[in-house]
Amino acid sequence: MSAQLEISNLQKRFGGLVAVAGVSFSLAPGEVVGLLGPNGSGKTTVLNMISGALPCDGGTVRVGGADITRLKPHQVAKHGVARTFQLVRPLPTLNVAENVLLSLAFGKHRHWGKEARDRVEEKLEFVGLAGRGQEKVGNLTYIDQKRMEMARALASEPDLLLLDEWLAGLNPSELRIGIELVQHLQGQGMTVLLVEHIMEAVRALCSRCIVMSAGEKIAEGPSAEVLQEPAVIKAYLGDDHA
Amino acid sequence: MLEHVVNGLVLGGTYALVAMGLTIQYGIARIMNLSFGDTIIAACFATYVLFSVFAINPILALLIVGPTGYVFNLLIYRFIMKPLVARAPDEGALEVDSILVTFGLLFVIQGVLLVMFGGGYTSYSFLNSPVSMLGTVVAGNRLVALVLSLTFGAVLVGVLYRTRWGMILRAVATAPQSAPLFGIDTNRAARTAFAVGGALAATGGGVVSMFQTFTATAGVVFTMKALIVVILGGKGSVPGAIVAGLLLGLVETFVAAYIDPGLTLAAVYTVFLVLLLVRPNGLFGKA
Amino acid sequence: MTMKTSHAFLLAAAVLALLAAAPLLIPDYWTGVLLGMTGYVTLATAWAMFSGPTRYVSLATVAFFGVGAYTVAVLNETLPYPLVLLCAGGIGMVMALIVGFSTLRLAGVYFVIFTFGLAELVRQTVSWWEVNITYTMGRYVFLPFEGRHIYWQLLALAAATFLISWGIGRSRIGLALKALGDDETVAAHAGVDVTRIKLLLFVISSTIITLVGAIQAPRWTYIEPSIVFNPTVSFMTLIMALLGGAMRLWGPLVGAIPLFLLFEWLSVSFPDHFSIILGLLFILIVFVMPEGVLAKIETLRKGSPK
Repeated sequence: MSAQLEISNLQKRFGGLVAVAGVSFSLAPGEVVGLLGPNGSGKTTVLNMISGALPCDGGTVRVGGADITRLKPHQVAKHGVARTFQLVRPLPTLNVAENVLLSLAFGKHRHWGKEARDRVEEKLEFVGLAGRGQEKVGNLTYIDQKRMEMARALASEPDLLLLDEWLAGLNPSELRIGIELVQHLQGQGMTVLLVEHIMEAVRALCSRCIVMSAGEKIAEGPSAEVLQEPAVIKAYLGDDHA
Repeated sequence: MLEHVVNGLVLGGTYALVAMGLTIQYGIARIMNLSFGDTIIAACFATYVLFSVFAINPILALLIVGPTGYVFNLLIYRFIMKPLVARAPDEGALEVDSILVTFGLLFVIQGVLLVMFGGGYTSYSFLNSPVSMLGTVVAGNRLVALVLSLTFGAVLVGVLYRTRWGMILRAVATAPQSAPLFGIDTNRAARTAFAVGGALAATGGGVVSMFQTFTATAGVVFTMKALIVVILGGKGSVPGAIVAGLLLGLVETFVAAYIDPGLTLAAVYTVFLVLLLVRPNGLFGKA
Repeated sequence: MTMKTSHAFLLAAAVLALLAAAPLLIPDYWTGVLLGMTGYVTLATAWAMFSGPTRYVSLATVAFFGVGAYTVAVLNETLPYPLVLLCAGGIGMVMALIVGFSTLRLAGVYFVIFTFGLAELVRQTVSWWEVNITYTMGRYVFLPFEGRHIYWQLLALAAATFLISWGIGRSRIGLALKALGDDETVAAHAGVDVTRIKLLLFVISSTIITLVGAIQAPRWTYIEPSIVFNPTVSFMTLIMALLGGAMRLWGPLVGAIPLFLLFEWLSVSFPDHFSIILGLLFILIVFVMPEGVLAKIETLRKGSPK
């Protein structure tokens, strides 16, 4: 079976700083993979290059076999890639339903009208916001904003979901809800690339992990093994602990 | 040829002077003051009144006009800008608010000047005797204007790069978010910067009035020119403003001399529009 | 179409019919006032179509308005009138495309200044061209129109503008516009082609503005750059839309009517104080009702003043 996401030799420089130095990996359909690494290791940069937010300086990104390396964010979205943001970014002049409707209207299938409204309700129900479409996003609690952002991402009906520290900032009980939601998606066969710092979530969700440090991939493999590797521990905690 | 160079430098010197004011306001206080040019024009009229009614030498009048500009802009910041800064949810909202409010100020100042002085061209004669210099003849007032602009510019650069106070202002300009971590009161820095910018505008206005005619409605043109210089030189960069100001003065003088005086303003706007599109961060700014 | 919207449409049609009949019933002076008012209502509504949701404060209004008027001044003796209007609209559209392509990546204050500079540049260039190339200081527009004829054309354009604005508000483009006004990055990742939508709206809005200028041209009879490229037009349009609320369909209308009457009265009674009052209004609106009158009324009614 061909890979859902395949990146090879991806590179990015900011001036003299090499942010990503030739990273390659791939995700099979239905896989939930963690992308880990200390702050500044280049994870979010990789995510931004996949989603088209940043142009690549080298390498290729393929989604479902199609080359999307040079595409702009809205074109990437139409290729079935959706993302969330490190800090939640609700659209305040739109209500909850409209936030979700936006992705339906401009996503892969461009739904509109009654059918789109039904699907909005469906997505809201899925993330646990049933019947709250008419609320202002500003009035939502933090976890509910995160839920709404997930619903918005799912509304473009993606084949690949990029979650950028989606679980960060949640309290323990909210974290459990968040993890369950992702597991739910996993059950439906969604391919997910998870940039995450919370190890509890990574262990619960990801069968496989990729670890980056200083712009390079330093480890890849089953989560339980990768997290024990000396190079990974060193990257996270420094030399003394290796 | 040489004559045009000297005239261009004189004009450019005053552009540099006023643009330093705007670059300090915009770079440090982070407020785009579109009524900036009207402060300049108000200062032109103030100098004119001091000279023709009270017989005060325009050079001495700068000592009155400059500080008045400082106080006036301090008050504007305190009573108009501060509440907007305080209520703005994000930078974009503040930007739109400050644009609209300073538009309002532009019209108010312009309107007051129109009521007081009418819409005609105004000028006065000060040191209008020709002085020969570098093999060409220049009006004495222009020479004084150039010397004054360069002196004020040099003083300002000295203050910004040699004093603790200047360092604080530069710190706020480069890293507004981190400056408070070093115990810098950004609020106070912004207020001071806004006022200093106003003082420079007023001083520049005083200098301009010595050798140019002015009208109550010319403020907008000055704002635009100051903006061109600021963007050309890089937002917040005082040395950049000086170089860019002199450059603009030269371009204008040469277009007027060799192409068509009627196209000066068009040439200026063209340079500006192209610049905005190609290098919005300025010739000397970071890409 | 729901009951509510069909009622609203009936009401709007009735008001439109009444307005169209007005010149036959009222003195010419008042037809002139209605004409000017309809012009500004259209300008403000067209302006808000693009600038409201995107928050790109455009001061290019008079550049397009003036180009429209000038096109009519140049072509009115060589082409039949409908073709002249078509040409004006076409020129406005092409100009908007070029300007839009080059400027829509500028944000915030840079866009404001660019559009203002553009209007001045166009005025300077036209003046220079007329003086040095065609040797004409001004031009005459001789068209067999009375005030009410111009008024009817403007009324039709205003109605069309409202229809377009209403249609956009209900379409996915309207949704995308609001979204990109909030956060362009999020909108783009949701699949919105941000540049294309901004360009589209800018072109629609600017073409309408050009047509307003073109239709009003015969009213002046004599046209020169300082008349039709007067920057006050841009500022008035801007403040009318803001007063009513640029994010709402009826906002610009609600702002344009009282302000037009106020300015009309001011320019007769206090011509010298016009500028001061315009300035104070700008400051007042920003401080008291930054979202416009309609939003203010809404919050007051809900009893939850901000």
